[in-house]
Amino acid sequence: MEKLTDEILMAKVANGNLDVLKVLFERHHKHVFNFLHKMSGDRMLSEDITQEVFYKLMKYGASYNNGKFVSWLFTIARNSLNTHFRRVSNTTENIETIHHKILLEEEQEKDYSDLYFAINKLDASDRELVILSRFQEIKYDDLAEIIGSTPGAVKTKVSRALKKLKTIYLQNS
Amino acid sequence: MEKNHIVELLPEYLDHLLNEAQKKTIETHLKTCNSCSQELNALKALWSAFESEKEISPSEKLKANFFEQIKLEKKNSPKVVSMSSTAFQKNRNWTNFFLKIAASVVLLVGVYFFGKQQQGQISSKEIAQLTNESQAFKQTAMLSLMGNKSASKRIQGVHFIEEFNEPDEAIVRALADRMLNDENTNVRRTAVEVLSEFTSSEIVKNSFIKALKMEKDPGIQITLIQVLGKIQEKKAAASMQYLLEQDDTQPYVKEELELVLPNII
Repeated sequence: MEKLTDEILMAKVANGNLDVLKVLFERHHKHVFNFLHKMSGDRMLSEDITQEVFYKLMKYGASYNNGKFVSWLFTIARNSLNTHFRRVSNTTENIETIHHKILLEEEQEKDYSDLYFAINKLDASDRELVILSRFQEIKYDDLAEIIGSTPGAVKTKVSRALKKLKTIYLQNS
Repeated sequence: MEKNHIVELLPEYLDHLLNEAQKKTIETHLKTCNSCSQELNALKALWSAFESEKEISPSEKLKANFFEQIKLEKKNSPKVVSMSSTAFQKNRNWTNFFLKIAASVVLLVGVYFFGKQQQGQISSKEIAQLTNESQAFKQTAMLSLMGNKSASKRIQGVHFIEEFNEPDEAIVRALADRMLNDENTNVRRTAVEVLSEFTSSEIVKNSFIKALKMEKDPGIQITLIQVLGKIQEKKAAASMQYLLEQDDTQPYVKEELELVLPNII
């Protein structure tokens, strides 16, 4: 079971074998959690959304089209986070102010490196690209699938975002 | 090589994504270009920051919560079916579906024929009733017309018999009465013509024979002789003989009688 690919395991889940989802959870929940945490800066929220993402795998497993599992997983994670932010910004505050608040509250914690603060100065779409390509080591092809673009366009976007990040990072350190 | 081009390739150089030739070109360029070397150092700093960035772990609660969620989901949907039994289910559903279709077809056809039969019964009853009614109506109309004072109305009434496929006795008798007793020659002649269609009836035959004796109009006499001659009615021979012997019988009537009589006897 542990040696099977993500895709084969997910196909089993889609067929109703829910226990297999535990293997996929063990393999990927940390990546999803870290992606969400870097995006939001909120541990609790990231845990909640991580659980929600895996719950969606279970609930909508039947709609899995046998494509690359990791792309699908991060597509769901990204959409879930966006949905959350949209809901929050519609009701009370916008994403930027929430961010700022979280950063101020937890600035002392060692969860947050200089790099983390630099990344958070990027706008949301650049931030997303940097996190997914550098930390999750997702290739341009898969990244294009996740954000709904072409590999060539993604490559250009990522290198521009890295350039911006480099400037910000070096200024602050 | 263009300086800009080298700068663009530096991230890939650090990621070891370039081929040997590209790598060589960059390394030779870096030896001579200060700004590109600086750029590379900056990127290296950023890259090491990426590498030293620690992955943080979520609390144990996340895993516990999710595994609990799986357990709950399994309980809520115990119909975790294997592939083969799914196929069986589908097959049964299909059979079920087919049976439903078949049942509805049978029902439809059944109702159709039941309705058709009902309708048929009703309409055949109605038709019979209507036929009776129209028969009765025609009969009344005919009899009343034949009783009319106007001769042309009486002729119309006599012609009415053509409407009947099998005229009943009452009508035939009424016609025979017209033939024997009507004061108008034309009415009598029409009655003879019409009745000649029904010579198979004994009443008609007998009234023809009777009319032959009574009739004074030579035209009608000839028609009667011809009709009786055609059907070779032997009983008419006596009447014909009688007519032949009468003095007031027209000569051409007598000729006709002499022509027909030998055929009958």
